[in-house]
Amino acid sequence: MVLRESGSAAPARRRIRLARGPLTIGEPAPTIEPRLAVGEPYRPDTIADGGVVFDLTVRAASVRGLAKRFVGGPRQDDLCLAVHGGTETVIAAVADGVSGAPRSDLGAALAVRYATAAVARQLDEGSVDWAGVFEQAAWALVSEARRTGSDPAALATTLLVATARADAIAVAAVGDSPALRLHRKDYHPIVSQPALDDGLIGGAVAALPRDAGALETGSCTLESGDALLLCTDGVALPLAGGEGELARTLARELARPPDVVDFARLLDFSRSTYDDDRTLIAVWAP
Amino acid sequence: MEASAPGASEPTAVIPAPVPAPLWSGSVIGQVLPMYFVGDESHSMAGDPIAAVNQGLIDLRDEVAMHPLIGKKVRFAIITFADTAETRLELSELSEDLVLPTLAPRGRGTSYASAFEALRHTIPADIALLKGSGYQVHRPSVFFLSDGQPTDKAEKWRARLEELKDPGFRERPNVMAFGVGDADPEVIRELASAPRYGFMMASGASTAGAIAEFAASMLGSMVASAERLDRGEQTIEFEKPEGFVQLDAPLV
Repeated sequence: MVLRESGSAAPARRRIRLARGPLTIGEPAPTIEPRLAVGEPYRPDTIADGGVVFDLTVRAASVRGLAKRFVGGPRQDDLCLAVHGGTETVIAAVADGVSGAPRSDLGAALAVRYATAAVARQLDEGSVDWAGVFEQAAWALVSEARRTGSDPAALATTLLVATARADAIAVAAVGDSPALRLHRKDYHPIVSQPALDDGLIGGAVAALPRDAGALETGSCTLESGDALLLCTDGVALPLAGGEGELARTLARELARPPDVVDFARLLDFSRSTYDDDRTLIAVWAP
Repeated sequence: MEASAPGASEPTAVIPAPVPAPLWSGSVIGQVLPMYFVGDESHSMAGDPIAAVNQGLIDLRDEVAMHPLIGKKVRFAIITFADTAETRLELSELSEDLVLPTLAPRGRGTSYASAFEALRHTIPADIALLKGSGYQVHRPSVFFLSDGQPTDKAEKWRARLEELKDPGFRERPNVMAFGVGDADPEVIRELASAPRYGFMMASGASTAGAIAEFAASMLGSMVASAERLDRGEQTIEFEKPEGFVQLDAPLV
């Protein structure tokens, strides 16, 4: 055994270690090794994206919930981002596949892609017609169902789409995926359906393709430092109307844009009983 | 005929006055799904049928307790009825050390009315307690099992059933009803929240065997529903148990 004299000149070597594990909020969820989701099309467990465009800072992530990780099911949430150069607009969409619908993962993936493409085409022509955007997204689901000879309801999904410019935000939604404006510590709904039925969770949800007409729209402007938040109910439910520990934590962490991977890590917080897929897009004003 | 308003002619049990639905406060700690097993404990259940119920409940507890996600999200209660209703297990987390009651035949009657009345009182109190503890609560589910016909007067049990299903009753549960033995399929269908949630043992099946299948299906429903507790698209997850006929078609 070698004893070193104290005050030895050799500097202590520190191992370079990655800080591992999720952020825990309240009682932690159990730690499980996720089962890889197998199936067509490829549905990665987690996606993370982001960057700066037209003075807007964007972060986007979608993470598979613990319930799906446990059984090896695909992530049924999805998101899509696009930019429209001519009008300096960021186009963002999130979708939450209805869990009872067997191919809602595909429905969500199709809905966000077709919707953002439809918005871009309409901006080329001058202005956005939300009803047309949602009809095209619904049509994409119906065509896919026809192609495979399945029931369009098997692809049922909510859809929330936003156009964000430095001076104006517009959003439209079918279903219960809310859009919020985060102003300092407060969450202001832009569109959101009531989360509760008689004070209980368990109301019916509007979804594409059936309820393409059940469209809600809203708009707002962002002050400097505000963030537009588009999310699915995997985030909205534990957010609990903007009260509570998760709401405080998110407000604090999103006061400035985290880096892209940290944003996904933040979304993948651990909290007992909240094991649904989670998707969040945040857009910060300059 | 329309159901009479609460407090009208029919003498009703005292029903708690509605209070405004509380929004969840700053101390939300989790989401839960309350589930109630309401089982017949009348004398006709003696022997193999009641033994099948007891074994089914033990298996249910053990399976749920072993599941890493479901156990925290489900709360389970047991109410039994014969000539009276009794709460045999208060709404509880199904952990492996939970002591279950052993159901045994008792009493002379088969009072559906007492069972519905017990639910009508218990459910709002349970939900208020859960919300007060910081839980977000899903609409409760009831699994009703009987092997006989109600011994109450028809007007009486129907009045209690109306109170339980009343759209003005905020905490009204989703009811799945199962008939075995001498249960009346028409009555079972009437109890269920929707005809597809009414199930009658197929003729020729053994009652104890059908009860074992029912218990397995109750577990399956619990797991499936809790896995899909996202926005709570409130179609209850339920597959028809073996040996039962679903009552959503006219009976021949």
